Amino acid sequence: MDIKPFTAEPIRVLAPDGSTVENADKLGLSKDDFLTMYRWLVFVRGVDDRGYILVRQGRAGFYAQVAGQEAAQVGSALPLLKDDWMYPDHRSQGSMLVKGLTATEWFGHVLGRMADPTQGRLMPHGPGRRDLHIVPPASTVGNKITEAVGTAMAQRIKKRKEVTICYMGDGATSEGDFHVGMNFAAVYQAPALLFVQNNQYAISMRTDQQMRTKTIAEKARAYGMDGYLVDGNDIIAVYAVTKHCADSARSGNGPSLIEAFTYRYGPHSSADDDTRYRPKGELEMWRTQRDPVTRMRKFLESRGLWSDEQEQKLQAEVKAQLAAAMEEAEKSPVPEPLSVFDYTYESLTPHLQWERKQLAAELGV
Amino acid sequence: MATAQVAKQTQSTMVQALQSALVEEMDRDKDVVILGEDIGVRGGVFLITEGLVDKFGTDRVIDTPLAEAGIIGAAVGMALYGLRPVAEIQFIDFIFPGFDLLVTEAAKIRYRSAGQFGVPMVIRSPYGGGVRGGSYHSQSPEAYFVATPGLKVVVPSNPYDAKGLLIASIRDPDPVVFMEPKKIYRSVKSDVPAGTYEVPLGKAAVVREGKHASLITFGAMVPVALEAADIMNKDGVEVEVVDLRTLQPYDTEAILQTVGKTGHVVLLQEAPQIGGYSGEIAAFIAENAIEYLEGPIVRVGGWDTAFPYALEKAYMPNPNRVVRALKKTLNF
Repeated sequence: MDIKPFTAEPIRVLAPDGSTVENADKLGLSKDDFLTMYRWLVFVRGVDDRGYILVRQGRAGFYAQVAGQEAAQVGSALPLLKDDWMYPDHRSQGSMLVKGLTATEWFGHVLGRMADPTQGRLMPHGPGRRDLHIVPPASTVGNKITEAVGTAMAQRIKKRKEVTICYMGDGATSEGDFHVGMNFAAVYQAPALLFVQNNQYAISMRTDQQMRTKTIAEKARAYGMDGYLVDGNDIIAVYAVTKHCADSARSGNGPSLIEAFTYRYGPHSSADDDTRYRPKGELEMWRTQRDPVTRMRKFLESRGLWSDEQEQKLQAEVKAQLAAAMEEAEKSPVPEPLSVFDYTYESLTPHLQWERKQLAAELGV
Repeated sequence: MATAQVAKQTQSTMVQALQSALVEEMDRDKDVVILGEDIGVRGGVFLITEGLVDKFGTDRVIDTPLAEAGIIGAAVGMALYGLRPVAEIQFIDFIFPGFDLLVTEAAKIRYRSAGQFGVPMVIRSPYGGGVRGGSYHSQSPEAYFVATPGLKVVVPSNPYDAKGLLIASIRDPDPVVFMEPKKIYRSVKSDVPAGTYEVPLGKAAVVREGKHASLITFGAMVPVALEAADIMNKDGVEVEVVDLRTLQPYDTEAILQTVGKTGHVVLLQEAPQIGGYSGEIAAFIAENAIEYLEGPIVRVGGWDTAFPYALEKAYMPNPNRVVRALKKTLNF
């Protein structure tokens, strides 16, 4: 498969009905690889469904679902190697899970428990893990781009064959940091993958209200960088394009911009009402005709790799696994109040020691 | 003050002292890299990095495109990865496009990762007036940084401290905003040891002993304070001058000690007063040492305006303004 930048139509291997429009066998992927992809899609959707229930139950204050974007997230994280770095955005839990975050840690994060590697310090946009090279995201949009490029610059300075992937949404491309980050990445030929999940909405703002260009990928041209437009609901295509760009960055050929064209099913977050801005029927069309999980399942079925029995078995396995993960997260304690001062600096300053004593007195501990 | 175990001392300017700190640290630790605008062949607009690109190469002395958000953002990403970046912002007045990266990212990543990630980086930048720089080459914006938990803020006032504080800042595990008083880059010389030494962060220095009043200040205002103390001395008034050196975290012990000794306090800064750093020190003294005070805490600073070009002299704190403030508290 010839992967080319700046195509007018998204790069695609699977049509929405699961049939192939490119030869899927020439990508170096085995039958097991296809099955692995599908299992991850089902798992990520399961985690998200289970996580979102916590908000409805009043046990979590916030949730941003990835539903609809599973192929973009799983497909872009699978080609990454252990030592590669990841800068997730506020809707990247699918990518983090593939990189190694556990469901227990994710649920612990949503619940604000100690099972969260970030110990409940962040609104549930996603934790981070140093050993997995996942930098914890922030709610602010765009400013991780320059940071991720800095990490990629460091990888290049240290002559390591690693890459850094930076996730962002379509709205982030309007921020000045997008311009600065793209330019730095290109100038230093940093091994960075700037990965845009274009889910067509930044809260309520449609992409055509956000920018005048037809695609996001074409913006790369202005920086002397290749930009790839890929069908973000086609996991095989997302995998192939990301792998292509990662290989290129690893061999010293610099950064790429990838636009994965996709759609989010949920509101921007649990605090949003998306019925105010979505045209009638749009969500249903994406759900019923372009769903990334169904598409992959149909592909597997068409090749005789998947059956109803296997599906039922997988669903039951994921359900049991997530129930166990949730139970473990719930058993985990909430953070100790006096730990509020920890990690402001590497050690407590005299002033923070004094404030800590005040809180201890207030709490009677 | 830390004493160096080295015999060789040379009379150096702050520019030379800062360069010496960078060279020592880059020699010692290959993970120390420097980046900024015009710091390579140009040597930086104040020549602090002159010659370093020849010595250390373009991988470690990185000329950057003109984008402060990029310089600070890239430095954060490098620090997270394990390097020890020292970024130069050409004038601190230009830092604001990168302000978001400092306060949203550098200052908070250790906290938000529950200690998994640290951001050991230094942002060096010349600050302050008195060089006919107008509104955008003269400001003293320390209050913004001090008000952000997670950042450390260091301001040297002389060549010896500049070297030792910069070395300590580079070795510090947390992000440091290192403000360099450009007015005294080349106007003051002091003995600077040739080897490596640290001046610890968070420790003030009594630069002149006195028993009648305490003049607490930092950076480019230290020479102004010393001049005011000289004037007062002619009338037999002994003014103690305390150089804070680190604004965040600050040396509470040193402040309590001098206030307990003199009972009169003047706080001197170059920046505007409202919401300024002196307000924090005044409140700290009022909360913790009111029993020692025999007069009001008086602040001297720049006026609460933008920094003027033609009227710089009318704007900048001067020794006479400080003397009037000292008399106000002493004659209370």
